[in-house]
Amino acid sequence: MSAVQATEPKPRLIVPRSVQGAGISVLGLVAGAAVWQLIGAHTQKSSFATFTATISALWGMTKSGQLTDALESSLELFGTGLAIAMVLGFVIGLLLARVRTLRIGLEPYIVMLYATPMFALIPFILSLFGFEFRAKVIVVTMFGIWPILINTMEGARSVNLDLLEVARSYRSSEPKLWRHVIIPYTLPYTMTGVRQGIARSLIGMLASEYLLAATGLGNLILTYTNQFDTAHVLAAVLVITLLATILMSIGRAIENYFARWKAGV
Amino acid sequence: MSAVTPDITLARPLGLSDRTQRTLLRIATGVILLFLWEVLVRWLAPAFVARPVTVARALPHVLANHVPPGTPTFWGSAEATAVAALEGLAIGVVAGVLVGLTMGRLRLADRLLRFYVNAFFAMPIIAMVPVMTLWFGFSNSVRLAIVSLGAFLPICLNVYDGTRSLPAHYVEVAKSYRARWWNEWFGIALPASLPYVLAGFRLAVGRVLVGATVAEYVVSLKGLGYYIVYDGRTFHQPEMMVAVLFLAVMGVLINAAADLATRRLLPWYRRSE
Repeated sequence: MSAVQATEPKPRLIVPRSVQGAGISVLGLVAGAAVWQLIGAHTQKSSFATFTATISALWGMTKSGQLTDALESSLELFGTGLAIAMVLGFVIGLLLARVRTLRIGLEPYIVMLYATPMFALIPFILSLFGFEFRAKVIVVTMFGIWPILINTMEGARSVNLDLLEVARSYRSSEPKLWRHVIIPYTLPYTMTGVRQGIARSLIGMLASEYLLAATGLGNLILTYTNQFDTAHVLAAVLVITLLATILMSIGRAIENYFARWKAGV
Repeated sequence: MSAVTPDITLARPLGLSDRTQRTLLRIATGVILLFLWEVLVRWLAPAFVARPVTVARALPHVLANHVPPGTPTFWGSAEATAVAALEGLAIGVVAGVLVGLTMGRLRLADRLLRFYVNAFFAMPIIAMVPVMTLWFGFSNSVRLAIVSLGAFLPICLNVYDGTRSLPAHYVEVAKSYRARWWNEWFGIALPASLPYVLAGFRLAVGRVLVGATVAEYVVSLKGLGYYIVYDGRTFHQPEMMVAVLFLAVMGVLINAAADLATRRLLPWYRRSE
């Protein structure tokens, strides 16, 4: 044992903080899957499928095309409903911001509809529009439109007076005012509403698939639940969770994109 | 004061105050909407569809619980849903605050749980309802579980946000007075996160109501969700509408209360869901 050996530092593995953090997250995911597997192994197949069984069910559904069909159907419903909600919400929101009488009169009823669980209105819509695609799109729109409408209205109303005065001092006509000042200013607010609308429309999509004609992902869940096939049910729930997470990330990204000039405001 | 519309005062034919005029305008709009509803349904829709006249006629019977025997009563259902909602809210808020605090204060917990909390928050919780019937059977536990989950997630995320944005010097001052970890957590972080709890409360209530009604429908539990779908399917739409209006009024009152509380207690908190 020489003096040189005693003072040499032991070689250590240096792991940067960010990698450490990501590593722990991955560890958390693996642990979750392990817990899932354990619970599944100790309960009946009809109560809780194991993680591996769920993944193989997922793979089976993908290969047979069942999952793709269901996704297509659900996304078609979701997309149509959300698109209508965005257009209507934006236009009506701007209209209400512009016409004071309409806004004062309608505001309490709009807030009331925003606060009501739209699920309660589904039987009413069913009696008016039936079971099929048209009724379900209406349900999805009803779920998603209120945050978009309200946020657009509030955004358009809060346009900075300075901006309007500058435009007016350049003798800007009303349509130009809308196109170059008010609408660009309102868009970030609308996108915040769209983000909330995406979440609500997803719930509306599933609710309409539960209560009206069962198609798509909701149908997968209901059918396999009736067959006590938890592997497939949990696979469908996994797909929905993944879809929802992706959509919410897109929503947040859009919101941040449109709000980027607001950083200093 | 709106910048978009020039702030002309409304004409004052009757010389009433601004506030009275607004209220009158709102009532008038309501009457017009009811009129439109009545006319359109009478003209275009089948006879059993609810319209204001039939709802008004059914209202006293429903409120007095005069229903055919065997059908769900309104007040019984309302009570069942309200109790379930409150229980779920209580569980969700307490659990959400605790987990949110933990995630905010301990980086390890944050890293481990963040993915799950975000994923469950994004997922529509009603996707879990059928699975839960397989786990808990067709019992009240399904509704309680869904409602608790629905309340837990927004509260947890909001408390997490609040705890993370705790100004560091609070904790430093506490440490220099030799505060223990429980002082830090429950004496500093918890009170600092309460405004965020309030902000998440609205979202929690919305999710609780949706979760409760859907669970009641799927599991056929006594409650407003079941009442509404039952009456809807047995062509008792006017009775159904009473429950819908009740839910609407409840939603508005809770939101108004949350708004009032936010404005009174936390005027500095910007509303951002």
